Amino acid sequence: MSAPQILIVEDEPQIRRFVRQALEGEGCAVREAETAGAGLTEAGTRQPELVILDLGLPDRDGTDFIADLRTWSAVPILILSARDGEDDKIRALDAGADDYLIKPFGIGELLARVRALLRRRSPAAEGTAQLAFGDVEVDFSRRLVHRAGAEVHLTPIEYRLLSVLAANVGKVMTHRQLLREIWGPGYAENSHYLRVYVGHLRQKLEHDPARPRHILTEIGIGYRFQTHPT
Amino acid sequence: MIASARYSLTLLVCAATAALLLPLRDTFDLANIVMVFLLVVFLIAVRFGRGPAVLASFVEVGLFDFFFVPPHLTFAVADAQYLVTFAVMLAVGLVSAHLVAGIREQAERATRGEAETHALYDMARQLTGALTIEQVAEITQRFMADKYRLDSALFFADGESGLQDGPVIGHTPGAIETGFARTAFERGEVLEIDALAGSGIAAAYLPLHTSLRVCGVLAVSPLDPDEDALRAARPLLTAMTSLIAIAVERLHYATVAQEAEVQMASERLRNSILSALSHDLRTPLTSLVGLADSLTLTQPPLPEAARETAAALRDQARAMSRLLGNLLDMARLQAGRVHLRREWQPIEEVVGAAVRLLEPALAHHRLHISLPADLPLVNIDAVLMERVLGNLLENAAKYAPAGSAIALAARVDGNALEISVRDEGPGFPGDKLDTAFERFSRGTTESNTPGVGLGLAICKAIVDAHGGRIAAANEAHGGACVTVRLPLGTPPNIEEETS
Repeated sequence: MSAPQILIVEDEPQIRRFVRQALEGEGCAVREAETAGAGLTEAGTRQPELVILDLGLPDRDGTDFIADLRTWSAVPILILSARDGEDDKIRALDAGADDYLIKPFGIGELLARVRALLRRRSPAAEGTAQLAFGDVEVDFSRRLVHRAGAEVHLTPIEYRLLSVLAANVGKVMTHRQLLREIWGPGYAENSHYLRVYVGHLRQKLEHDPARPRHILTEIGIGYRFQTHPT
Repeated sequence: MIASARYSLTLLVCAATAALLLPLRDTFDLANIVMVFLLVVFLIAVRFGRGPAVLASFVEVGLFDFFFVPPHLTFAVADAQYLVTFAVMLAVGLVSAHLVAGIREQAERATRGEAETHALYDMARQLTGALTIEQVAEITQRFMADKYRLDSALFFADGESGLQDGPVIGHTPGAIETGFARTAFERGEVLEIDALAGSGIAAAYLPLHTSLRVCGVLAVSPLDPDEDALRAARPLLTAMTSLIAIAVERLHYATVAQEAEVQMASERLRNSILSALSHDLRTPLTSLVGLADSLTLTQPPLPEAARETAAALRDQARAMSRLLGNLLDMARLQAGRVHLRREWQPIEEVVGAAVRLLEPALAHHRLHISLPADLPLVNIDAVLMERVLGNLLENAAKYAPAGSAIALAARVDGNALEISVRDEGPGFPGDKLDTAFERFSRGTTESNTPGVGLGLAICKAIVDAHGGRIAAANEAHGGACVTVRLPLGTPPNIEEETS
């Protein structure tokens, strides 16, 4: 497999520099753009496999950039944002971003997110009817869930929640996105439904529901499902 | 025209009519003479009203009998049929007097009513232009004095503190007293004080009702010692109080709207300053953390000492970023109202997120979490509450020795959810228990434990905003314990699945 192409859209040169170094160390080919405008052009001509986007660009709102990019590309987008920018993050994720990193971040965190997003793109991650995480095994073709060998009964909503999470493994799903997928658009404000059912699912599938390893809470934003604890 | 003058004139007119008709007595038929007399009664009714018309009816029957009906110059009547003429004449005179007078009175009432309506309209128009409560009081006072010779005072009630101690603007000293105004305000009813014997002073206190509350009291008292002035103005006063109440309420909402606008503008300004500050300080720190971190990872590896230096740089920059985060949080929480995004959620989720965030810091401690499975949902801002739990866990990890246990527990206690974080550290110094939640208060001064003492102050600000309580205590066997109590409410229903 050839080196994955990654595009960094970030106005601060020092941040671009260390992100580039870290990614090149992983064997990625890196392109840089200083502004949202240049970023969109670059994304169009280079067709990267991942876009890393700073939400605080001077020339354009990050959410606009994502919405624009999403009209013609499904490339994974990792956003860089401040801790206190929950609104920005939610808007960016709702617009189609896949994951976020809070500034400041270490190289380890950055690479873990990048690897997870690149893995999602690989064909091997698609079209499998089996899923295993922890001591849980899910067979989507037969709608069966086993934990440590014993069958676990899930209600229809719990099962649907698990399938939506599994279909978006590694991606941050906002409350709004999950509610819309599971209950329909009319329930977009009833996030307590979602929280209660996620709680049920954790009770049934997590080893310690108070310290989940697979169905993680992104506080104030939504949930992230991961098969391998980081 | 006063009453006695009208009656005298009536008599005069009757006499003149008789005198004018007398020479025609023999030329005209008596029936035509009767017609002229009836016309005069009718005109008197139109001009002077009911009383004089009745008088004229009788007087003219008398004159007719005396001068015109034979035998002349005596009340005796030769032909008995004239008695019928008298009776008809009297009856027609009385009835027309009554009818005409009734119409006249109605017309007068209509004119008076129109004048009052016009006056009210005029006042309403002036009140619409009033920009302050003082102007409302002044317009009222002028209007009452001009139109009804009444002194008036407006007492204004604030939303929170009730009726103010004195009227909005001064008034003629005399009958109006604040005490009575307060009584009328508290009862919400009109209070009328009768004139004391001899003093001739009377007053009325009318509460100003709006749709939601009583917004003040209008007090009126006659300027002249004339008790009727107050009674005459009573119907109008009711309408006036409504007008004034509307004006006062309008001013109240205008003020509220203006304050809200100022508050919003200042909040917008503060938020933009804080986010600019946040961005400008965080950007170099992000570079610093990332660049130092990449130094520790360079291939081939740096010499051990250099790598340690790079790692220390990275950790210090991270610590500085956390400190910056706390300062910005505190600035946001301190400045005015805290905007909570409350949603009903299980506390378990917030605990889980806080623990995961603090995992690196808690690596050297044993964390015990005890959450009953049946805890009710709480209505909280998850992001802020995660910060509270994170700060408490971070403090515990910072002050308690490595290898010791930290316990996080939650339970329902009465109508509150109680969350506690206990450690096995040295506990709060005895003299610091009370001040633990103040800003820049630290457990040990000048110690080498990093931090500036904002963590607990932030916790307190957040818990307070939720209507909860936070308390610090030392355990009997040593160790600190911080307890957060959050009020429980009625969580929304969740439809159970039918499967």
